[in-house]
Amino acid sequence: MAVKIVESCVNCFACEPVCPSNAIYEAKPHFLVDSKKCTECEGAFADYQCASICPIEGAILNALGEQINPPGSLTGIPPERMAEAMAELQSH
Amino acid sequence: MQLPVLNDAPAAKGGCSASSCGTTDNQMDSLPDSIREKVQNHPCYSEDAHHYFARMHVAVAPACNIQCHYCNRKYDCANESRPGVVSELLTPDQAVKKTMAVAANIPQMTVLGIAGPGDPLANPERTFETFRRLSEEAPDIKLCVSTNGLALPDAVEELSKHNIDHVTITINTVDPEIGAKIYPWIFWKNRRIKGVKGAKILIEQQQKGLEMLIAKGILVKVNSVMIPGVNDQHLAEVSKVVKAKGAFLHNVMPLIAEAEHGTFYGVMGQRGPTPDELQDLQDSCSGDMNMMRHCRQCRADAVGMLGEDRGDEFTLDKIEDMEIDYQAAMEKRKVIHQAIQEEMDSKRLEKATKAAQHKAEPKLTTRPVLMAVATSGQGVINVHFGHAKEFLIYEASPDGVRFISHRKADQYCGGDSTCGDGESTLQVTIRALAGCEAVLCSKVGYEPWEMLETAGIMPNGEHAMEPIEEAVMAVYKEMAAAGKLDEKPEAVRASA
Ligand code: SF4
Ligand code: SF4
Ligand code: SF4
Repeated sequence: MAVKIVESCVNCFACEPVCPSNAIYEAKPHFLVDSKKCTECEGAFADYQCASICPIEGAILNALGEQINPPGSLTGIPPERMAEAMAELQSH
Repeated sequence: MQLPVLNDAPAAKGGCSASSCGTTDNQMDSLPDSIREKVQNHPCYSEDAHHYFARMHVAVAPACNIQCHYCNRKYDCANESRPGVVSELLTPDQAVKKTMAVAANIPQMTVLGIAGPGDPLANPERTFETFRRLSEEAPDIKLCVSTNGLALPDAVEELSKHNIDHVTITINTVDPEIGAKIYPWIFWKNRRIKGVKGAKILIEQQQKGLEMLIAKGILVKVNSVMIPGVNDQHLAEVSKVVKAKGAFLHNVMPLIAEAEHGTFYGVMGQRGPTPDELQDLQDSCSGDMNMMRHCRQCRADAVGMLGEDRGDEFTLDKIEDMEIDYQAAMEKRKVIHQAIQEEMDSKRLEKATKAAQHKAEPKLTTRPVLMAVATSGQGVINVHFGHAKEFLIYEASPDGVRFISHRKADQYCGGDSTCGDGESTLQVTIRALAGCEAVLCSKVGYEPWEMLETAGIMPNGEHAMEPIEEAVMAVYKEMAAAGKLDEKPEAVRASA
């Protein structure tokens, strides 16, 4: 079982040093998790360390493919509000 | 060691006994000698030094351990950079190389800072390796670092080992309830902690770090971001607390929030302060200390004199080809620094003499006036109105001339064919000068002249190449003599 980093990752490096299993590595176009090394932090910490410091909603998925930090959970911006603002910007 | 609270220094108004009276921007006289010595030639801290010396930042620290509501982590740390900017991330080795290349080519560069793109202390290995090597290989460069403060207490010991004499902590509040409105979460002891609880820990760490740095004799500057309706009423309190603990300077910066930055404040429509609101708060926080008003929120990989960025000359592939003999460069730098020092000293003396003269003259009783100045450094008026990327705002009053702030101009004339929709950009520039009653520059074109006049801002090109303070005072006296200062200015202020 392993977590996965997806394309919304902004390559901020925050997760790499906090992983107890050294499973995260810098790659192009974004950081990746070595699924053989990732232990989901079992036995080491209560929470996934990578997903506890990652600032980007949706960048890390759990083994079921679900976003560990869903939209709105970190920034506090309600997803509808974000969608509205983006639509407004695009209409300019 | 407890440093005096800066606000306790005698106020500059009226019974000023300090030698700097008249030109009220040289308020470092209220600092203890040991600190004044450290900051008086620092381009970020000394208003006149920033016309001569340069600083640079290297972006070696990508990670961050907290979230601020004005930051989008796709971009650089908004605490230390303009929002929406992305810097080129360097390894410590590349950063050392770049720093030495810049130092050899821009001898005025005396200060190297690490300010991002994330939080330097959340990347201790990368940050400290850069500092360690520079302390050894380029001992004539001062080092400084900025932080959100969360990891600061653990870093103080290591920081004290290097050539570091300035640390900047961004402290937006000392109240966890307010903190929860600014910081949605922190990463602390292997957990993400949200809300008031997280903010409380962050505030405790910031204050503890501040106290520890002061105890070690390291200079601490505090930055605050002014967020109207969130912490604007509270920042005077922050100022009192951090100065009582020994911070030598409290610098208030405006929130910059745009929806396209994708930040919480940007998307939620939180506004930034108007220039007037900012100035009022800066006045009430800084007391008679105003040397930090020239801070322009540099980007995390900025290179050059304040307000300019020569980063393009020192990209990775370019520095790769440069052969730097740092010993030789250091010799050369020393000579140049000495020459600059002499020039600065003589200018300072001249200023003091002028100020004394001013004091001896019968005192005006006219109201204060804001003026904008176009300059590219050396303390003189030397930029064409249409070429000014930014304006320095000064206040002239019967007490003298003091520096207030920078305002960015949208350059309306690119000097070539880019003048297509020039008029609207010119209007933007004029709006940026709202509240000013005169603008001093080396030259002004015909079209902007008329528009400036219509906007109630008197263009003035008569003081080209003259020292800024003298020219501003001269214009002020002309205005006074012409009876323009007896009544209130026409209501031309933009609501911004
Ligand atoms: S879940 Fe834990 S072990 Fe797996 S990558 Fe993230 S930090 Fe490493
Ligand atoms: S913390 Fe998140 S955004 Fe940053 S590198 Fe890791 S996965 Fe990417
Ligand atoms: S400390 Fe800087 S990088 Fe971190 S969230 Fe705040 S503004 Fe962004």
